[in-house]
Amino acid sequence: MPDAALDDIRILDLSGEIGVYATKLLADLGADVIRIEPPGGDPMRMIGPFVHDDASPDRSLYYFNLNTNKRSITLDITKPEGREAFERLVKTADVVIETFEPGYMDSLGLGYGRLSTIKPDLVVTSVTGFGQDGPHAHYKWSDIVGVAMGGMMTLAGDKDDPPNRPYGNQGYVCAGIQAAGGTLMAIVHRDNTGEGQHVDVSMQEALSINQETAMQTYDLTKTIRTRTGARGALPIDIPGIGVYECTDGQVFAYLGTPGGAPWTVMLEWMTREGKADDLNDEPYVSLIQSLNLSFLTGLVREPEKLPERLKQLAHLYDVFKRFCASMSKWTLYEEGQKQRLMFGIVSTPEDLVKNPQLNHRKWFQQVEHDHLGETIMYAGPPYRLSATPWAIRRRPPLPGEHTYDVLGEVGYSIEQVDTLKAKGVA
Amino acid sequence: MSDVKQPLDGVKVADFSWFGAGPICANTMAEFGATVVRVESESHLDGLRAVGPFPPDKNTYNVSGYFNNFNAGKLDLTLNLNTELGMKMAHRLIAWADVFLTNHTPRIIEKWGLTYDCVRELNPDIIAVYQPMQGFDGPHKYFMGFGAVLGPITGYSHLSGFPHRPPMGLGTNYPDYVINPGHTLVAILAALRYRKRTGKGQLIELAQIESAVAPLAPALMDYAVNGRVQDRTGNRLPHAAPHGAFRAKDSEWNGQPEDRWIALGVFDDQQWRGLVEAMGAPAWASDPKFANLAGRKQHEDELETKIGEWTREHTAEELMALLQSKGVPAGVVQNARDLLERDEHMKARGYYVYLDHPEAGRTAYDGPPFRLSKTPGFLRGPAPLLGQHNDVVCKEILGMNDEEIAEAIVEQALY
Repeated sequence: MPDAALDDIRILDLSGEIGVYATKLLADLGADVIRIEPPGGDPMRMIGPFVHDDASPDRSLYYFNLNTNKRSITLDITKPEGREAFERLVKTADVVIETFEPGYMDSLGLGYGRLSTIKPDLVVTSVTGFGQDGPHAHYKWSDIVGVAMGGMMTLAGDKDDPPNRPYGNQGYVCAGIQAAGGTLMAIVHRDNTGEGQHVDVSMQEALSINQETAMQTYDLTKTIRTRTGARGALPIDIPGIGVYECTDGQVFAYLGTPGGAPWTVMLEWMTREGKADDLNDEPYVSLIQSLNLSFLTGLVREPEKLPERLKQLAHLYDVFKRFCASMSKWTLYEEGQKQRLMFGIVSTPEDLVKNPQLNHRKWFQQVEHDHLGETIMYAGPPYRLSATPWAIRRRPPLPGEHTYDVLGEVGYSIEQVDTLKAKGVA
Repeated sequence: MSDVKQPLDGVKVADFSWFGAGPICANTMAEFGATVVRVESESHLDGLRAVGPFPPDKNTYNVSGYFNNFNAGKLDLTLNLNTELGMKMAHRLIAWADVFLTNHTPRIIEKWGLTYDCVRELNPDIIAVYQPMQGFDGPHKYFMGFGAVLGPITGYSHLSGFPHRPPMGLGTNYPDYVINPGHTLVAILAALRYRKRTGKGQLIELAQIESAVAPLAPALMDYAVNGRVQDRTGNRLPHAAPHGAFRAKDSEWNGQPEDRWIALGVFDDQQWRGLVEAMGAPAWASDPKFANLAGRKQHEDELETKIGEWTREHTAEELMALLQSKGVPAGVVQNARDLLERDEHMKARGYYVYLDHPEAGRTAYDGPPFRLSKTPGFLRGPAPLLGQHNDVVCKEILGMNDEEIAEAIVEQALY
């Protein structure tokens, strides 16, 4: 019985940053992913952060994260002998994933049409900024171009700033997730029918649904959702909603949501801490008893009471803000949640590494890097499959670490690989 | 297209999920052929049905653009799981299904008795998929959450945006829409293959915080290895300059000025030369201090100011076309109007799909997130009305007759 879901799948990975998260996801579920680097190495290896800030190609943490469980060969597929080796590998492969400009693989004689004659049930997945056809198919992309053109950036940030790019190449991440899904969908179809196909992933399309309701809002009401800053869509500061400063960072609060405890529970806590100020007096007690989302939407229906209500809310906001400012973020998060008050810690990377829940569930992984003489902490699984678990079975490869092994598997002798290396092909 | 055999033809999904993370995953499965029965009820309505946007002058449970976009082509069954008969029918649906999917909290799952141990008894080979916020064990198991809180908890808020602002997040419940449903789809497809090979089902647990944190790994590794706590750096990147969004000439929308922005990134000297050429080779740009990345990083404030002065004189669309012609990755910071109406590329590829809905009218939906050349995927119909398919699901899937259906209605099991 296999213990990995994809251990019968071989993938040739030609991807750059835009597709490499896809092959990581598939490798971590057991696929044999062979990364094909140009001789001289993969430029992704020079993107930081680096182990101990030493910017060398065997120390990129960015590269490490995206290349777990993969093997690496160096091969120049622009040269005839490199192409021949690649074609031999294709005969043993289930999937090729590439991220070149549309048409580039065709220009090498390695497009889907040609490869499918070598291996009829092959799945070729192409991940690009804008997809394989259409007027922008040949536009240059980078992550920020994707999140801009896909509609995410316009929703993020403060009105007085430029729109915000999400941290961490989310355009590439989302394109990678959709590419992994699309590839597996095509594999399922191949399993059913023996038919391969070409999977086309456009980063712009992959991101579109991240617009949340913006697309539908324009479609249905012809209004444009745009960035609304720290307060979000709320017209005023609402006590218990939004980001609050603490002694050691911030929390995000969303009190009064359905399923959570009412504001009165918050008041009790503030009272126990001796920090309720005058909130146990009128008019605040009554205000707090009626403070929930429908109260807030009802505010506008009684315009004559509005100025006074706003003043009371502003005071409540101030007292609540002072309470948060006197507490640590972890206390507000954990003690608040235990009382079913919707607090979320604004986690820093340090908070995440120390997060008791992630650690209780043994989420982080320790991976030995023999070449560095170090054990390095990795992020854990996005999902846990009981029969075929996600696992880091192999550290990320050194450049060309498996060239002899992999080419040997398709019939190249050590001498032949040496010759390819001497010619700069491998 | 409907006669092409789709990859998931014959795959049956009992979709007990709600809001974004679950329904979007099942939505993609439906686009590629799966039969998805969406379970909800008047007593436990998908919250998105009550949240807009709504078409003008309509606000029934059936017209929310938020809900409808995530549920196209599903069958909708209203089961009240707080009744004995409703739960019995749910069990029959689970016994029918290949995939059981839910993103309800551990508290609700336990209350309903729909843990994997129970579900497996009803259907030993089922792929049972749970998307709890924090996981089914551990000290935070019962913590509440939804998309808005998930962004802060998982690090996106701290790391995104400008350093002089509070951690305001991304303006949306970001992990709900691609990160969590997309990861879930990968896991389900892998499990479906495994089941085909071995006949065995399994449990998939996607803790939403784990799934959302995973893509941020380099920042966590930077802390673990180097002790560095990364902070917000706005739109800048350590290995590119300039890199950001620059204000273009304002346009007008509904009689009001509208700010427009061009996003661009220069990752190497060749792209820098392209940018300089696009700007018409102004004298300042030939200053040697801008000639390489290190210099551009060092003088980034000045660089951004100069570029911003140039971009302000041109429309975002002109800038994109010009920069792209010089080999510089650049794109308009598009809003929904741009994407739906003005982006000729999106139109040419036909990404958005317009479907007629009995109550909402003709409205736009996101199309499939990836294109397969031989089995392209398509939306099989508009989103279902609440309980629209009670009759057909009860008869054809649950094997009930008219009398039994009537009884289910009387007992408020179908509700």
